[in-house]
Amino acid sequence: MARRLRRLGLALALAAGSAVLTPGHADALPAGFPKVGMVCTPGSVAGSTHTFNLTANTGYADTPDGNSIFMWSYANHDAPDNDHFQTPGPVLCVTEGETVVVNLTNTLPEPASIVFPGQAGVTASGGSAGLLTAEAPASGGTISYSFTAGNPGTYLYQSGSDQAKQVEMGLYGALVVRPNATTCPAVAGTSCAYGAGTRYDSGREYLLLLSEIDPVLHHAVETGRTYDLNARRSRYFTVNGREFPDTIQDNGTALQPNQPYGALVRLQPNTATNTQPALIRMVNAGLLNHPFHPHGNHTTEIAQDGRVVARTEHFAETIGSGQTLDYLIRWDDTDQWSPASNPLPVAQPNYRNLTFKDGNTFYSGSPYLGYKGTLPTGTVSQNVCGEWYFPWHSHALNEFSNFDEGFGGMATLLRVDPPGGCFGSATATAIIGGTLKGGTFAALAADDGTYYQVNPKTTTRPTATTAGQTTITVASAAGFPTSGNYYIRIDNEVLQVTGGQGTTTWTVSRGQLGTTAAAHTSGAVITALANDWYATFTGLPAGAANLKVTYKGKNCQNTTGTTCAALTSNLPQQRVQICDWTIAGAAGCSSATSAGWVTLPPPPSQPQGVGSTDVSSTWTLPGSGSAYVGTGTYKGQVRVLVHTQRWTAPSPTAFSTWGDLMKIVYDAP
Amino acid sequence: MRAITVTTGRVLLLLAMIASGLMFGGSAASAATVSINLCALPGMAPLTGAVTVPIWGFGIPTTPGDCSTATASLPGPQLDVTLSATETTTVTFNVINALPAGHSITFEIPGVTFDAGPADVDSGGTLSRSFTAPASPSAPGAANAAGTYLYGSGGDGGRQQAMGLYGALIVRPSTANQAYEPAETAYDVEAPLVLSAVDPAFNNASDPMAFDMYQYRATYWLINGKAYPDTTGITAGAGQRVLLRYVNAGYDNTTMMLLGMHEHVVAKDARLLNSAYGAVADTIPAGATEDVIATVPAGGAPSDNGFPLFNRQLHLTNGGQTGQSPSPLTGGGMLTFIHP
Repeated sequence: MARRLRRLGLALALAAGSAVLTPGHADALPAGFPKVGMVCTPGSVAGSTHTFNLTANTGYADTPDGNSIFMWSYANHDAPDNDHFQTPGPVLCVTEGETVVVNLTNTLPEPASIVFPGQAGVTASGGSAGLLTAEAPASGGTISYSFTAGNPGTYLYQSGSDQAKQVEMGLYGALVVRPNATTCPAVAGTSCAYGAGTRYDSGREYLLLLSEIDPVLHHAVETGRTYDLNARRSRYFTVNGREFPDTIQDNGTALQPNQPYGALVRLQPNTATNTQPALIRMVNAGLLNHPFHPHGNHTTEIAQDGRVVARTEHFAETIGSGQTLDYLIRWDDTDQWSPASNPLPVAQPNYRNLTFKDGNTFYSGSPYLGYKGTLPTGTVSQNVCGEWYFPWHSHALNEFSNFDEGFGGMATLLRVDPPGGCFGSATATAIIGGTLKGGTFAALAADDGTYYQVNPKTTTRPTATTAGQTTITVASAAGFPTSGNYYIRIDNEVLQVTGGQGTTTWTVSRGQLGTTAAAHTSGAVITALANDWYATFTGLPAGAANLKVTYKGKNCQNTTGTTCAALTSNLPQQRVQICDWTIAGAAGCSSATSAGWVTLPPPPSQPQGVGSTDVSSTWTLPGSGSAYVGTGTYKGQVRVLVHTQRWTAPSPTAFSTWGDLMKIVYDAP
Repeated sequence: MRAITVTTGRVLLLLAMIASGLMFGGSAASAATVSINLCALPGMAPLTGAVTVPIWGFGIPTTPGDCSTATASLPGPQLDVTLSATETTTVTFNVINALPAGHSITFEIPGVTFDAGPADVDSGGTLSRSFTAPASPSAPGAANAAGTYLYGSGGDGGRQQAMGLYGALIVRPSTANQAYEPAETAYDVEAPLVLSAVDPAFNNASDPMAFDMYQYRATYWLINGKAYPDTTGITAGAGQRVLLRYVNAGYDNTTMMLLGMHEHVVAKDARLLNSAYGAVADTIPAGATEDVIATVPAGGAPSDNGFPLFNRQLHLTNGGQTGQSPSPLTGGGMLTFIHP
């Protein structure tokens, strides 16, 4: 009944609006947990003793087909979880050599226990004698287990009591023993599964815990009915307690309050600077042997049951009941297909001829990693920025289903992001201080020597100017700064505008920056000594993080002609800025001097002197990118401003700004 | 109990060999010969203290050629052959088919290359099959060398094996207390573990050939023919090396989990592995054998019963299941313990 009320509540929430679903997690996860990858339950460490407090309790697991399964499991008794039901049990991570203490409180109606396959010398205190190990008595009994984590590795823990029932009901979890600093000498950004030869990227550690559920047995236990164990037939096949497609939801998704662990595996291609493989820890807590089949690349098996084995390469391997296997996986983009430099040798099917199951796809529309293409009208793409997805699943295909409906069940996805992250190219440009000399935003897409070129803004003096005049009128102020002092040039004289910015009557200081005040004829051309333009990027997902902006460009002495006249002294100073939409919204990034432009932080420091040789720079904005990704009308929009000024002596002249490449790279959610 | 069974088997084998005038050795120029007499015959097997089912099993006749002096057992008697250090050994099996009329038997040992000759025999007849084993030590990968083997009858489309016609053949190297020739396979305690399962409905059928195998559903899960609590424990103390010889005579790929220590998998299907590996839950395919060595650690066992060794498919029940909890609640099925 409680279950029905809860589901009814969810339905009402859905009817009321999806905003109800977005609040933070209600799950058994520590603060600051990552959205993908293995999440450890911290426990508490005192000296070399690592203690976990677990509670055997009951709850419900949701399945993608709308079912809700009564489960038994282990919960984390400590804050912030406070016995919040979760399946599978907490991931217990300890360090080699630690004394591990696991205190169990049993709220189940029969004695329960924990056995630790692969651990020697487990002692129990309290509780009562049992068949395989000492047990916590029913309905509130307690027991404490202790052992020394002698060997690094991936291990299973599970009930040792009434196993045929309790393991099926869900009393299992993963124990991870990490090597100590002697076994695995520290190297920044890396960890080891075992010794130094098993190093992996610390940010890419994944746990895939397999199991299966016969809902008939669970229903019988829930309702106190009899069940024929000899007739067991599993209908749900889980990875980390979830069935596909729920497996690819984030850790701690509010959609699955009792199934906190996602199973999406996310990689970037290994490169010269991204050299480490990812680690996949697999645990089969179920009763069946599962032939697990990772698409996309061979995985390298490095260990079984917490012991290193001779390495073998697999695209399918049976993981036995109760067994653990560890894999390293590299993903090398050996083919380097590229639409520009290395196109696929066969024609791609016309998108009009493609159909997708349920009108839904993870395909980007482009076969190239990091590119998006066109999909048939009405097709929803889950693709963010041209990343690739590969299914990892049980190849016992009945297990690749939810209650015999495919696809589902024991499956997850490998997501391969473009190298370095998702990248975006400009989809538009705007000149807010200058005029277009040549090119379009498309010229910024590649480092290919084609340029987007901006000339300085000009206007004219409607009347003659005397050498001593300090107030002048101009034909138009458009494109000149509306605030702040700035320099302009008339003939051979540089003037500084100190008042009247934004109007056509300016207060000026004469003969600046090594020039001499002089008279100018009526109709003299006024030239800005700064160029301002910005590029717009669109389609960034909410939650994009770790933005990186790359700009490569130069400045040329000439404002006419198609070749770049050398400019090697008194270099224009370039300042690349990004729109912080939280300061003043779109208005904050409308003109060159608007308040919303934020100078990209070093390295490299800005401004930079940029002459007629291309300078390439990449700036990084660590952490959340939410301030830089627009919302509402400007949803998903990023603007990057290039401001270049030549406001230094001697006698600066006007110049053109040539942009070769501008792109952004980011971590998509 | 298991240890006694093995001893009995060896005594019977020895008696059989004496009776037939065939012993190890012989003249230096000729091969040693071993002759093993078996009967395939109906019998009864106690799965647990309370449950006994009809079987077809192997037995060794105390009077060669007279199956009335043989008793079928589940599994069949453990057959031992010790290789000579100096000469080849010719092993001959004389198997009398004492099954009901109309059921011919075969005699098969996967992994063994038999000499040319008939491979099956009708009810009432005698089948003789022989193979020649190399002197020990032998070249790596030599045919018919030391190892753990499964023997059985493949008659009646496999149903005879389901009825119980299977057992373990152990071919020993010339060095005592080693599973294979390398010294790292030395052991202190040996425990052959024949894994199988029984559906009493099948065994109780008047004729196994008439049974609808679509309805076959094993309900007893056995180690050496017994379900817990009737399984025989493995006696070994701290520091001792226990050789577990898994022989999967059943129809399921069977994962055996050992608690409290790692086992070292040294051989599969009577062949040494190039890369031995540690395991706590290893899967023995149906029809396969596997040799593992586990060193009993110092300190306490996980339970008062010792170090549990059990079927991780959790076939830990005996017979029909009609209650709210698995039966027997005190543990059953494919479970035993290593204990001092």
